Amino acid sequence: MSFFSFCPRRAGLIARVTLLEAMRQRLPQILLLGAAGLAVGVQGLRGINFGLPELKFIADLGFGGMVFFGSILTIFSGSHLFYSEIYGRSAVTVLAKPVSRTEFLAGKFIGMMGVAALFSVVMTVVIAFVLYTRESTLMQERPELFEHGGRLRYGDIFAAGFAYGLRFGVLAAFTLMIASHVRSSLYAVMASFGVLLICDLQYLAQEAYAHTGTTPLRLLAGLIALLFPDFQVFNLADLAGAEDGIQAEQLWRVTGYGLCYIAAAGALAVFSFKRREI
Amino acid sequence: MTTEAAISIQGLTKDFAIGLRGTRLRAVDNLSLHIGQGQIFGLLGPNGSGKSTTIKLILDLLQPTAGKCLIFGVSHDLAESRRTVGYLPESPYFHRYLTGRELVGFHAGLAGLSGGQLARRVDEVIARFGLSNAADRRVGSYSKGMLQRAGLAQALVHDPRLVILDEPAAGMDPAGVEEISTMLLQLKAEGRTVVMVSHLLGQMEEVCDRMAILNHGRLVWEGTRADLAGASGRQALVVDELSMEHLGDLRQWLEQRGSTLRGVGQPALKLAEIFRRHTAVAETRRRF
Repeated sequence: MSFFSFCPRRAGLIARVTLLEAMRQRLPQILLLGAAGLAVGVQGLRGINFGLPELKFIADLGFGGMVFFGSILTIFSGSHLFYSEIYGRSAVTVLAKPVSRTEFLAGKFIGMMGVAALFSVVMTVVIAFVLYTRESTLMQERPELFEHGGRLRYGDIFAAGFAYGLRFGVLAAFTLMIASHVRSSLYAVMASFGVLLICDLQYLAQEAYAHTGTTPLRLLAGLIALLFPDFQVFNLADLAGAEDGIQAEQLWRVTGYGLCYIAAAGALAVFSFKRREI
Repeated sequence: MTTEAAISIQGLTKDFAIGLRGTRLRAVDNLSLHIGQGQIFGLLGPNGSGKSTTIKLILDLLQPTAGKCLIFGVSHDLAESRRTVGYLPESPYFHRYLTGRELVGFHAGLAGLSGGQLARRVDEVIARFGLSNAADRRVGSYSKGMLQRAGLAQALVHDPRLVILDEPAAGMDPAGVEEISTMLLQLKAEGRTVVMVSHLLGQMEEVCDRMAILNHGRLVWEGTRADLAGASGRQALVVDELSMEHLGDLRQWLEQRGSTLRGVGQPALKLAEIFRRHTAVAETRRRF
């Protein structure tokens, strides 16, 4: 069996074509424009900052838009890029070449990650640019705000952007795992959004049941925590404004956490896809 | 020259589970075939007889319920076995956002070509299949015939020893069918093995060295072109301008030699022949 057969070059070729195909479609372009537009336009919403410091408000809204649009992009474009190969039967021609299914899926995943990475880089640069512009203006208009320091650390902004990109990678791996198993793209999209919801909100269940609930509820919360990643872990944007900023150790821990889930979801996707009839 | 079979299938069986109860449908039933190197092998059968399923089993796109298959002695479930195989699927669809050149280059890369060799082979097959003018257009804008040509280009770009074609002439006009026949014979002359699935019996009869007929997933007949010719035990003569008087003489002559003239008729020209004769003027028109 060709389960462990793997050639990085072939996976790279599939990833390149996947990325190229995604970039030539409208959806990623529209979502990127929407998210970037939100990040740039956030300065116009300064009046409704709910009492938050202005720069933090801009960062929160910018990264919030990045997470919202990025999650939609990851699920829709990931699902589309996989099913377009299956429904369109181009996978038949690809897999008739000396390409193992592991290489095929790895290529698809790397291509999907490429889309998410590109989106994350562009968004992080836009957010950093908007923050820098506003911070420079504020320093001239209200220098007293910066008398005791408090300038933004842009390295932390990029570290936060990296963590969100990793979060998209985990979501892409779960989307691919679901898509490799189910035959309907609509079902795959719905299930992926379900996973996103669980991953985003599971911290509420952890807080509610992990310590105070009954044994079955604690076990359930523990099981969910094991099976699904907690997406709050990737939210480093809050730390970017904290006194200590984002520590390298935290970033390594988040990276390891994300990579573990990507590897697990990827292995399950390969296991499932290996048995799939094309 | 090795005598190893290009494809060796032993007891291949494929069941599909249908519906919630998992009722089993047997698409291929205990099929055994040995396809020698350097020949054109035709796989025939009515719709649903298991031809395309057999091809997909050979290429490991489907997993067999039972049996085994070797491609040039390598088990078909190893990706390595497909290094020497070129495949054109029925009604090929490709990555529509790629250009023709990108598509063929992508498949060449997957097959292991790289650098200058890849670029040279891509140019060669693009020119061979008349796609040079459309090579930098996106595949999504190609006509059905151009897709078929792009399919052939990607199947042959890595110079495979075994070429598997599923309905290569589907939807083509007679000139296109003839061009495919010529290409098949050329592939054979280059020393390649060709396995072809088709409903065009005339074309199969014309180009195939061996043929097999499947029905309900079972092999019901296998033989050579010579087997077909000798199957009736009769011969036919086609004679120009034979008068009734000479026909009587011929009948008598045959009877004296122990043969019997079974029938006399006027063979009509085949429609395909008339079509070709009247459309052959378009020498330079697009064939597909």
